[in-house]
Amino acid sequence: MPSETPFQINIPDKKLSILRAKLELATFPDELQDIGWRHGPPLADMKRLVERWKNGYDWRKYEKELNQELPMFTRDIDVDGFGALNIHYVHKKSETVDAIPLLFCHGWPGSFIEIRGMLSLLTASSPKHPSFHVVALSLPGFGFSEGAHKPGFGLDQYAEVTHKLMIALGYNEYVTEGGDWGFLITRRMAAKYGGKHVKAWHTNFPMADPPTWKSPLSFLSYLLTPYSAEEKAGLERTAWYRNKSSGYFVEQSTFPQTLAYGFTDSPVALLGWFYEKLVIWTDDYKWTDDEALTWISIYWFSRAGPGAAHRIYSEVAGDFYNLGRTSYPTVPMGASYFPQELLLLPSAWLRRLNNVVIESHHKSGGHFAAYERPEELTEDVRKMFAKGGPAFGVVPGKSGYA
Amino acid sequence: MSSETPFQIDVPDEKLTTLRAKLELASFPNELEDAGWKYGAPLADMKRLTERWKNGYDWRKYEKEINEQLPMFTRDIDVDGFGALNIHYVHKKSETVDAIPLLFCHGWPGSFLEVGKILPLLTASAPGHPSFHVVALSLPGFGFSEAPHKQGFAIDQYAEVAHKLMVALGYNEYVTQGGDWGGFITRRMASVYGGRHHKAWHTNFPIAKTPSWRSPLSFLSFLLTPWSIEEKAGIERTSWFHNKGRGYFSQQSTQPQTLGYGLTDSPVGLLAWIYEKLVLWTDNYNWSDDEVLTWISLYWFSRDGPAASLRIYFELRGDCEDIGQNPTIPMGASFFPKEIIVLPAAWLRKSNNVVFESHHKTGGHFAATEHPEVLVQDMQKMFAKGGPAFAIVPGRTGYA
Repeated sequence: MPSETPFQINIPDKKLSILRAKLELATFPDELQDIGWRHGPPLADMKRLVERWKNGYDWRKYEKELNQELPMFTRDIDVDGFGALNIHYVHKKSETVDAIPLLFCHGWPGSFIEIRGMLSLLTASSPKHPSFHVVALSLPGFGFSEGAHKPGFGLDQYAEVTHKLMIALGYNEYVTEGGDWGFLITRRMAAKYGGKHVKAWHTNFPMADPPTWKSPLSFLSYLLTPYSAEEKAGLERTAWYRNKSSGYFVEQSTFPQTLAYGFTDSPVALLGWFYEKLVIWTDDYKWTDDEALTWISIYWFSRAGPGAAHRIYSEVAGDFYNLGRTSYPTVPMGASYFPQELLLLPSAWLRRLNNVVIESHHKSGGHFAAYERPEELTEDVRKMFAKGGPAFGVVPGKSGYA
Repeated sequence: MSSETPFQIDVPDEKLTTLRAKLELASFPNELEDAGWKYGAPLADMKRLTERWKNGYDWRKYEKEINEQLPMFTRDIDVDGFGALNIHYVHKKSETVDAIPLLFCHGWPGSFLEVGKILPLLTASAPGHPSFHVVALSLPGFGFSEAPHKQGFAIDQYAEVAHKLMVALGYNEYVTQGGDWGGFITRRMASVYGGRHHKAWHTNFPIAKTPSWRSPLSFLSFLLTPWSIEEKAGIERTSWFHNKGRGYFSQQSTQPQTLGYGLTDSPVGLLAWIYEKLVLWTDNYNWSDDEVLTWISLYWFSRDGPAASLRIYFELRGDCEDIGQNPTIPMGASFFPKEIIVLPAAWLRKSNNVVFESHHKTGGHFAATEHPEVLVQDMQKMFAKGGPAFAIVPGRTGYA
């Protein structure tokens, strides 16, 4: 096995002092009467969180927990045209020698922290279910991975980094699990490296294009098919996301640097922008204040700075709208549907374009499924690769069983 | 004329100290190689402006200049369903007694300051052109006007405030000039108060409904009309704005407070958010650093803070296509090539009583700042003896 360089998070004291100094100067807007969450996080929430962050929240405690829970490493990965980027990742092997190598890919405003609920479940050994060797990277520009230094780092590059990491760790054949950007990146991986390296892929963020008039039969069936109650609710959620919750997307994909100035200068700016997503994108998840602050502190203390991560939006934006024309992967796909996900489209649309071998439809859970519903998502992944499951043995010699 | 309560800007020392303290702690992101303006203001510009703001920029100097140059007042205006809001405004009368009462209405990220360069030109007396008595308010939630305290304060309410202010000042009949939100608000005023009170309106932000397939004849003509070079350039500019320039609009019209937290806590964040517009929306205007910083400082020091100014977007519910009932009173339109939405004039004429048009070769969104003389000349032409809106306000021709 190739050697690995261990990594422990150790934020310099100076960074903690600067954070404290900025929080001491925090200033707040007023708020309209009875506004609730209509315009963004309520003022009372923001004041409470800032106060806690300033006094009481103990970063060192949570830093230590992460270091103890997640075996982390760094490694230089060379990206064509961009030089070597130092990538931070979690890597935990199962005790089952022939466990299935699995790459977990986060999105925005997520991070490597999203693996923490699933890590021990996925790696656990049992005759009753398959086990996985898990790799969960920080995408370039996120967490403690170096960010790209020049424009043009798009989906192909994110896919390349992630794929090369698996190869470097000795996993020539592997499967993936991803949501949000992780979905788009693992889909690109499955399209580019599928068959030879990526043997199957699973997602909790199944995006699909609607049938168009260009494909008359499916368009006709699209018009005529009565939607189930679940599908109707999903389409409503999708409409809500597109009309009411996409401002961040438009700004991040057009003027990310404008936002970067605010995020880098003000922890309150970062907190407002990110905390809103943590709440409205989840299914009534009961964030503790410290939990939310740890999630956001990872961005505040990130290696590339809080202004870097969301550049992924502008760099991929052009590619994003070409998704309908992207080559669809042919390797087996698994999809988990959670009702408070942001884009919820009829599963027929997904099946039309992908080799969907397993689906699950949940009654609760939102966008950060790995974090909100680690047992359910693990169960879905296990079912896909279990003995008798549709993707059993898809990685030769690594069935996931002893 | 009813008595006016004079107003002088006098930002408390404490606010200046807080600003200085935050600027001392300013931290900056890195920047992608050769980013230029592609993703927002360049890092070098932001560092230079922040440094100047911290050391060298003298707010008190510009505060004094504004106080000396712009006669300002405040007045309570009652808004149906919202109670009284204390409105800050500039008011300068011409020496010509029968000057035309004119309301100047700013937008975002503008302010009452935009009247500064055109004020002496509009109020000037001369036999060769009409003169105006000028009122330039700070919209509620902007500058030193009180912001509304509850939801639902939309275009109708802004129009009501502006109209009631004119009437309170004794201008029962008046004309207007507005751009950006000022364009939408004065258009609503024209629909609601037009004829009886609002006699004519001029805008440098001429917005029109795009022809849709629902109106087959005009859609057909839209498809078939060979566009002039100017119109093609305008359509390109409009496409740029639609595809690349609407991020701020999208955020502000859906989650304004989310953004507001950052704009209130970070002067650097506020600077970035607004400076980007000052450059991208103008036509190579040579902003001096102090000019930019005064513009931004006004938002920073505004009565109800910068977050309040965003809420106007949310209340429009993001639907710019729904620009309301067509006014019938005479309209004047000045077209500037780097405005953010530049539509063929034919579309404007379809739904408005356009009596005056001018098409300029330079200039952008902030016309009163970029081309004050040109804008005033357009106003003067519209209302001049022999002009299409001459003597539209009975007894106030604008001439001695």
